[in-house]
Amino acid sequence: MTSYSKEVLADLAAGQLPWPQTRRIMSAYKDDDRFFKMVAVYQDRVAWKDPILLPVSDHLFICQSGDERITRCECGHSFGDYRKNWKLKAAIIVRNTEEALREIYPNSDIPDPQWMEIREFICPECGTMHEVEAAAPGYPIVHDFEPDLEGFYREWLGKPL
Amino acid sequence: MLDKPASALRLRERLLDSERLMEETGCYDGITELTLRNQDPLKFETLHTKLRAYCVSAREMARRISASPGVREVGEMVVAIYTPEGDAIALSNGIMVHVHTMSRFIKWMIKNNYEENPKIREGDIFANNDAFIGTVQVPDVMDVVPIFHEGTLVGWAGAVCHELEAGGITPGGDVCLAQERFTEGLFVCAEKIGENDEIRRDYVIRCERNLRMPIYWVLDEKAKVASCIDMRESVQHLISEIGLDYWMKVSKEFIEEGRRAQLARTRQLTVPGIYRGHTFYGHVTAGKPGFQLLGDPDWLYNIPIEMEITTDGKITMDFEGTQPWGYHSMNCTPAGMDGGMFVTLTQHMNFEGLVNDGAWMATELKLPHGTWTNPDNEMVATATSWALLLPAYGVFQRLLSRGFVARGFVEEAFVGQVNSPMIEMGGESQYGTPFGMAHFECAAAGSGALAIADGLDTAYVGWNPESDMGNIEVWEQSMPMVYIGRSIVPNSGGAGKYRGGCSFVSTWLINKTSHLRLHTSEHSSRVFDNGGMCGGYPAPTCQKHRAVRNSNIHELAAKGEPLAHAPGIAPDVSDYEKNIGGDHVVVEGPYITAPHKSGDIFSHSYNGGGGYGDVLERDPIKTAWDVENGFLTRQAADQVFGIILKDDAEGYPVADIDATIKRRAAMRKQRLAKAIPVSDWIEAERGRVEKADFAPEVKKMYASAIKLSSRFTKDFSDFWKVDAKSIFMPGAKP
Repeated sequence: MTSYSKEVLADLAAGQLPWPQTRRIMSAYKDDDRFFKMVAVYQDRVAWKDPILLPVSDHLFICQSGDERITRCECGHSFGDYRKNWKLKAAIIVRNTEEALREIYPNSDIPDPQWMEIREFICPECGTMHEVEAAAPGYPIVHDFEPDLEGFYREWLGKPL
Repeated sequence: MLDKPASALRLRERLLDSERLMEETGCYDGITELTLRNQDPLKFETLHTKLRAYCVSAREMARRISASPGVREVGEMVVAIYTPEGDAIALSNGIMVHVHTMSRFIKWMIKNNYEENPKIREGDIFANNDAFIGTVQVPDVMDVVPIFHEGTLVGWAGAVCHELEAGGITPGGDVCLAQERFTEGLFVCAEKIGENDEIRRDYVIRCERNLRMPIYWVLDEKAKVASCIDMRESVQHLISEIGLDYWMKVSKEFIEEGRRAQLARTRQLTVPGIYRGHTFYGHVTAGKPGFQLLGDPDWLYNIPIEMEITTDGKITMDFEGTQPWGYHSMNCTPAGMDGGMFVTLTQHMNFEGLVNDGAWMATELKLPHGTWTNPDNEMVATATSWALLLPAYGVFQRLLSRGFVARGFVEEAFVGQVNSPMIEMGGESQYGTPFGMAHFECAAAGSGALAIADGLDTAYVGWNPESDMGNIEVWEQSMPMVYIGRSIVPNSGGAGKYRGGCSFVSTWLINKTSHLRLHTSEHSSRVFDNGGMCGGYPAPTCQKHRAVRNSNIHELAAKGEPLAHAPGIAPDVSDYEKNIGGDHVVVEGPYITAPHKSGDIFSHSYNGGGGYGDVLERDPIKTAWDVENGFLTRQAADQVFGIILKDDAEGYPVADIDATIKRRAAMRKQRLAKAIPVSDWIEAERGRVEKADFAPEVKKMYASAIKLSSRFTKDFSDFWKVDAKSIFMPGAKP
């Protein structure tokens, strides 16, 4: 059964594993113990003690915080109940002018701001940009991911949540 | 368990029986136990490996028969072996999108009682390129031949090549001007085109008289038939070794195992739950020549996708809320949508074990009737269905990648494929002959980023996992143009901790022709259609074409003056305008205009991929390398990524780490100072929504989505706390 050390997975997640080794991991049979090892890698990375239940993005995790399960930034900022859209509790910068779009696309073709805007969702505490939406003006903010946490742990991981 | 030898039932009954068994047992053809696999797993695996080898070998042989650079150079071909009922057992590498579309073609013939008329006999050759029967678009021409063993139909061999010219209203295959089926080109609607292993002469005559460049189509037919016969003979030889009953059972067990493998793969790599995402496609046609007045000009399409992964591992993709079909060429059919699903699964989840139609059976597509995904009118055009299909399945890749990230398999997360606009042309060739063809270097765009690395530069499209732009000389040999530049477009990958793959731009001098028509298709302009992920930005749009008519390039060359080989990095003034004299033209979005002639210059660029992660985390050292090699500009490194570069003694850029740390800290502060709570933004934006203070195309998009989808209407209304119907469809019943 394929398995990797926590150190190897930490380097993989950080994009620091040499490419030939990364390539071998991509091509090999998947390691069945990956999930909890990777959670442990992330747990070492965060400054807080609440146990991580599920990574949801690069710096965003669902964790057990007392009786609650919340979406939490790596810096510790809470976005509230994990079943609700964390973006609604974030800070936002909207780029809907040519000038604002040019800051990100200095020489490239850009959209017509009348047709499309960029929404940057930012942690209000540490300033990490967690997600960028490109949407037509007026488009509702999307709730990216509603994991079936109970089903995942109970039926796929075989462990109680 | 399976207990059916080669059945005496007629094909149609066998197919219906198979579908009923799947419905009743949830297992393919009612196979609830993998008996043969359990009895002798090594024999089972070895047989499947043999079948796959037959397919790969047949495809490689066919590529050497084909005359088309699209097939020969770029590899736009796939072959597969099917059960008698038309389910794929094994397939080659190549354009795997068509494995399941061929399955639909075979099933369509069976359900339309081809066994009676025109009859299915040994040596017959059937062809199809009708997307409502089973393909994606007209240039994807598929051939299948039945496989018989001692008089019993035991399977099918099938092959698809993407043709470079389809005989439509504009030359090429992705016919951008097609607004109805009748302008898309030469349709072959599940026809018997050959008998006794020979393509009928009357069919070849029809091709010769209806295509601008029939040599490609006809030679590709021969290549496909050769590959089918090769696979047929291999399967027949195999059956003589293992016995007919074993073949009939094992071929179906392969498919059931493929179904189970897909479910297991989903359970292994993802997390159950609901995933959502969207993308957009913007097409600017108003005022452009050639478009008939059938529908509104200028199109803005929203493509929202809700994906559910259940705890049994089934993936369901729901397209509710997307747009209606239209009088343009970007509509798709359920066959095309199936193809998109199949090619994505085979690239991103099923890269080991058995890959066949079983993988597709572990998924479900919900394609709302009347939308571009499932038109309720079979007269619509589907010539550029990839325009919407590709961004849609780019979203699918991002949704799957969320699952991979959540599960810890970060090395599999991929920001997604990109739309890569195609250039097509026709008129008079450099040899003085009529011609028409698609330029297939679009098969090598920039990919989306990974969660651990930058995307692939100029090396990926979703529809061909072996993406290859082809050699310059091959294209020059076929078209009356010579390259004066093919280069990376700096900053064309979406910005992020890992940037998207960069695209490229080609610049040609039109040569030795007095009449060259140039058109582009799959060309989204005015909106991003390649999103980012986890804080990464979308890839830039790709909307401007630049041409110089009546250029003085020959005079400049004679004097040894500098030329321009690419548009350069100034957004408003291209290097062509700076360096070359003549009549300069800049066109937004799809290019369609009066014919060009020798001495004109034309440039066409392709798309890059979206970025992954926060830009302020990008590696400064890697960025210095990017700047040195032309993938990023110094301006972007500084302005977008907050990376300060200085020059070393030899003038090469190197990262100033200390200065970068300071600048990034300042940029982070600026972000926080500029950002507002989302709740405040929603409150402020609601007034604009209530007034529908949007561009006409945006309003039209909302009105049509609301008309078709009660769920979209509810979601929109709930989010903004408004009555969406009364805003966008005044007078509509509440």
